[in-house]
Amino acid sequence: MKIRSRPGSLMVCYLAVISVFLLLPQLIVVVVAFSEASFVSFPPPGYSTKWMVRVLSDPSFMKPLWNSVVLGLSASIMAAALALPASLAIVRHRFQGARALQNFLLSPLSMPTLILAIALLFFLNDIGLGNTYAGLVFGHVVVVLPYLVRTIVAVYSGTDPRIEEAAYTLGAKPLSTFWFITLPMLRPAIFAGGMFAFLVSFDEVAVALLLSNASSITLPVSILTYLTYNYDPAVAAISVIKMIIVVLALLVLERFYGLQNLTMQSR
Amino acid sequence: MSRPRSMRQNARGYLLTFPAFAFLVVFFVGPLIVNLFESVKNEDGGLTYAQYVRALGDAYYLEVLGDTIVLSLAVTIASLVLGYPLAIAIARSRGALKSFLIFLVVTPLLINVVVRTFGWMVIFGRSGFINAILKLLDLDTATLTGTWTGIGIAMVQVLLPFMVLSIASTLEGIDGELEDAAITLGATPLKTIIHVIFPLSLQGVITGTLLVFALSMGSFVTVMLMGSNSTMVLPLLVYQQLNLASDWPFAAALGNILIFVVLIATALQLGLAKRGVRR
Repeated sequence: MKIRSRPGSLMVCYLAVISVFLLLPQLIVVVVAFSEASFVSFPPPGYSTKWMVRVLSDPSFMKPLWNSVVLGLSASIMAAALALPASLAIVRHRFQGARALQNFLLSPLSMPTLILAIALLFFLNDIGLGNTYAGLVFGHVVVVLPYLVRTIVAVYSGTDPRIEEAAYTLGAKPLSTFWFITLPMLRPAIFAGGMFAFLVSFDEVAVALLLSNASSITLPVSILTYLTYNYDPAVAAISVIKMIIVVLALLVLERFYGLQNLTMQSR
Repeated sequence: MSRPRSMRQNARGYLLTFPAFAFLVVFFVGPLIVNLFESVKNEDGGLTYAQYVRALGDAYYLEVLGDTIVLSLAVTIASLVLGYPLAIAIARSRGALKSFLIFLVVTPLLINVVVRTFGWMVIFGRSGFINAILKLLDLDTATLTGTWTGIGIAMVQVLLPFMVLSIASTLEGIDGELEDAAITLGATPLKTIIHVIFPLSLQGVITGTLLVFALSMGSFVTVMLMGSNSTMVLPLLVYQQLNLASDWPFAAALGNILIFVVLIATALQLGLAKRGVRR
C-alpha cells in the first residue's frame, strides 16, 4: 500500500516542480495580459485592463474568434453524425474487421496535422474545393473525428448490451430501441466527445493556417500571424480570452462527463 | 451463432460504418495519395525522383532532417523521463489530489500551442522572467530564445501531457495488488517500479513515445516563433517552401520524407515491443 497511499517527500518535490513547469507559461501569459506597458516584459511595470479592452473591441481578433466558434461547431456536428453510427457498429455488431476499422477511424490522430494540411491543399485544389469554406470544414472533420469515435466507443463498450436485448425481447423495433434506449445512454458521451472535438478544432493551427483565407481565418491562426510580426501584450490579452472560453468548456465537460475519464481513453 | 445471422451482423456493421469510412478514404487517404503523386510528377506529367534527389542530396536539407530527428528524440526521451512519475502519481492517487493532477495535465493540453510558446518567449526573453530573476541575483542576463535548448524545453511542456495520459491509462488498468505483493515480499518501491510496474506499463510507454515523437516531428509553431536562423526543422521548411517559395512539388516531397521517418520509427518501436512481449 505504500506507493499507493503515501507519496514520499521526493515525490512531493517532483510534483511541485512539474506543476510549475506545466502551469508557468500559461500563468505568465495571464499576468502579461494585464500589463500597462506597450511592450512585453516580466514582471510588467504596472497593471491595467487596457489591452483587454483594446482586443475586445478589435475586429481583427473578434472576427477570427467568431470564425473559430462557427468552424468548431460545424466540424464537431458533422463528425458526430459520422462517428455515432460507426461507433455503434464497432461496439455491438462485432463484424469482421471491426477492430481494423476502428484503428482506421483513429488513424488521423497519428498524422502530423501539417502534413494532412499540405496534402489537403493539393487535393482540394484538384477536386475544385480549393480555397473554399467547405474544404476547411472537411479538413477539421478529419482532425476531430477520432476524438468522437474514441469517446463514444469507450462509453458504449462500458454499457450493458442486455439493456438493449431486453428492449428487443419486449418487442421494440431496432429504430425505437436506438431512439429510446441507446441514444439516451450515449447522450453524455456524444456531448462530451463533441465538446472535446470542438476544443480540438478551436485549437487547431496547421490545417487552418493552410486552408483558411482572409474571411475564414481562425483565432489561433490570427494569433500566430500577429505574433510573427508583433510582440506586445495584445497577444496575451486575446490568449486570456481564449483561455476563459476553454476553461468554461472544460467545466461543462467535467460536469457532464468527468475529466477523469479522459485518462482512461487516451489510447 | 449461426452463419446467416453473422452475415447479417457483418452487413449491418459495414452499412453503419460506411459514411465515416468513406469520408476518411476521400478526405484523408485520398489527399495523402495525391501528395505522393504531386512529389514525383514532372512538368509533362511523367514520373521523376528529382525532388527526392534534391532533398536528400543536399547537405543543408540533410542537416535539417537530422536536427529535426535529434530534437524529436530528445523531446520524446525528456517527456518519458519527466512524465513517467507523474503518470504513476495520477494512476495511484485518489480524490482531490487525483483531480488536481489530471487538471494539471489536461489544462495545458487545451491551451493553444501558440499561446504556450508565447508564454515561453516571455519566460526566456531578454526582458523576461528568467532574466528578471538573474538581475535580482546580480547575475549576467542570458536568453534561451532562438536556441535549441529553449525550443526543446517549450516543446516538452507542450507534448508532455500526451505522454503522461498514454502511460496513466495503461497504469490504471494494472492491478494494484501486484505492487502490494511485490512490496509485501520485500521489494523496495524503486525495485517494484523497475521490475513490476514498468514492464506491465510497456504498452502505454510505447503508445506515448510514438505519439510524442510523431507530434514533435510535425510541430513547427514553436520553432517558427522561438527559433532563429540557426534553428530550422523539417515541418517549418515544408511550410516555407509552400508559402514563401511556392514550390509545391518540393514541399510535397519534403512532407513525404517526414511521414516516412515517422513510419520507420513506428515500425521500429512496434518491432521492439513485440520482442519485449515475447521475452
